[in-house]
Amino acid sequence: MLVKKPINILIAEDDEDDKLLIIKAFQKTLPKENVICVADGEALLQYLNRTAPFDQIEAYPLPDIILLDLNMPKKDGRTALAEIKSHDNFKKIPVIIFTTSNLKDDIEITYKMGTNSYITKPGSFEGLVKVAKEIENYWSKTVMLPV
Amino acid sequence: MRNKFPKSGNSQLFENSNSSMNRIKLYSIISLFLIIVGSGISYWTSERIGFYTTALMETQDILQRTSELYSSILERETNIRGYVLTGDSKFLTNYQQSLLDAESLLKKLKDLTKNNPDQQNYLNELEELINIRVETFKLTIVYYEQHGNLDGFISPARVNSALNGYRTIKDVVKNIESEENRLFVEKNRSLLNNINALPFIVGLISLFSISVGFVTLLSIFHYNKVQKIASNRIKNYQDQLQEHLYQLDDSNKELEQFAYVASHDLQEPLRKITAFSDLLKEQYSETLEGEGALYLDRITVASNRMRRLITDLLEYSRAGRITSEEEKEVDLNQIAEYVLDDLEIAIHEKKAIIEIKDLPTVLGKQTEYRQVFQNLISNALKFSKPDEKPHVIVSCENASSEEVNKLKQLDSSFDYFKITVVDNGIGFDSNYADKIFAIFQRLHGKEAFEGTGIGLSITKKIIEKNNGTIYATSEPGQGSKFIILLPDIKTIE
Repeated sequence: MLVKKPINILIAEDDEDDKLLIIKAFQKTLPKENVICVADGEALLQYLNRTAPFDQIEAYPLPDIILLDLNMPKKDGRTALAEIKSHDNFKKIPVIIFTTSNLKDDIEITYKMGTNSYITKPGSFEGLVKVAKEIENYWSKTVMLPV
Repeated sequence: MRNKFPKSGNSQLFENSNSSMNRIKLYSIISLFLIIVGSGISYWTSERIGFYTTALMETQDILQRTSELYSSILERETNIRGYVLTGDSKFLTNYQQSLLDAESLLKKLKDLTKNNPDQQNYLNELEELINIRVETFKLTIVYYEQHGNLDGFISPARVNSALNGYRTIKDVVKNIESEENRLFVEKNRSLLNNINALPFIVGLISLFSISVGFVTLLSIFHYNKVQKIASNRIKNYQDQLQEHLYQLDDSNKELEQFAYVASHDLQEPLRKITAFSDLLKEQYSETLEGEGALYLDRITVASNRMRRLITDLLEYSRAGRITSEEEKEVDLNQIAEYVLDDLEIAIHEKKAIIEIKDLPTVLGKQTEYRQVFQNLISNALKFSKPDEKPHVIVSCENASSEEVNKLKQLDSSFDYFKITVVDNGIGFDSNYADKIFAIFQRLHGKEAFEGTGIGLSITKKIIEKNNGTIYATSEPGQGSKFIILLPDIKTIE
């Protein structure tokens, strides 16, 4: 059986604590270097476009999936999502909204905007680990991603 | 129960405009009265003028006829004289004719002056004198016819009496004429007085009417002004009210925002506390010494409880709020059925008997009433006696008017349903009957019974929003009774 290359996950999360917890959770299933974090929507788009400070192609590979918080400074999740989904090249990358909000409006609007999943942040670390495993399992094993 | 707002504007405004309306009415009545009186007086005056005019014409008539009478008397004398001088019988015919004329004139005059006793006296006197003269004439004629002349008939005494008779007749006629002239002058004066008075009276009445009309007009202007001010004030008041409504709406939105922020932003650090204590436990549980693991557990339990409190608080703030769910007629029997389905496991575990008796249909939101019955029945199950099967009876009757009047938060113009939820549980001290509805108030330690103490406050909020009220009675160990009063309204006004 062909051993699959582990997927690359790009996380846009402004909260340092959450960032730490999410990274910790994903590290249970993925190698450290496959989980990359940026602080907000603006940084996310700079990363994708490879503009400074993310202009070294080798250090910053294009992610397989994106985890996007909704409430962030500078450029929030909704704007970032809109920009990604309107970009010819980036719109193929699956985006998972990963937020504390469970508002009906947020869920409906982001799906309409083209998000691929919507996950509310779990309350416990155990829950977070479970979600991380499910994400990894689903997006790297269950589904086929564009090459 | 909400406080009643004062009625619109201030009542003084309405009193003001009412008093000026009354003034307008009064002035209109006065001017109408004056016009009627004025017309009456004018009519009366013109009647008087007519009366005096007729009277004057009568007087003139009398004068004329008197002079005619006098002429006929003279004519008679002349004819008699002519007859005895010439013996021509034509004179005699004329004499007879004037005799008839005088008679009819005299009769007419008597008739015309029948209201004047003086004139009647004069006329009677005149008639007598005429008769005396006529007697004399008759004798004269008879004598003449017998003798062919008057020799021996005329004597100094007869001549004297003829002279006297003629003079006396003349005097009486003069008296009649002067009396009638006097009357003419008198009546003429009265006529002139009335004619002169007429424009004065009409003028005076017109002046009065015009003045009152002006005053009425001014009052109407004043009334309009007062009305305008009043309507301006009402408009201002409405604007203010509108403004307050906007403010209320804003503050409601703020409160909603606050509840949202409180629930989400407070949960954020809480989530992290739980997550990091999980992480800590997972990575370092082996190295934790002593009671370290216990403390970590305590942290997790406390955070979880805090999270529940926050969730419940959020639920309380949402309860009874305007939602998209429509208010409609809700059949409480059906609601109770749903709730029993939801609580099936707990009912089964506790082997509880729950009786739902004929419940009414009331106005409100289905989810809210579901929450109410869910809270009440699950409370009855929760606070049951450990050694006794829970028995809960939910029933309904019509509230008596004394009961409704006693509860001052209810509007006594409505009929009310009285829904009771009775259980055989542990009950509570009736001193706490009000306290149990307050938010986060609990009568038992959370170790004995779980819960945040929010269920009954949500229930109360929902019932009060639907213009009802809820209260409870109980004694420790004797079970408790929750009484809900809801208005019997079937449709939304």
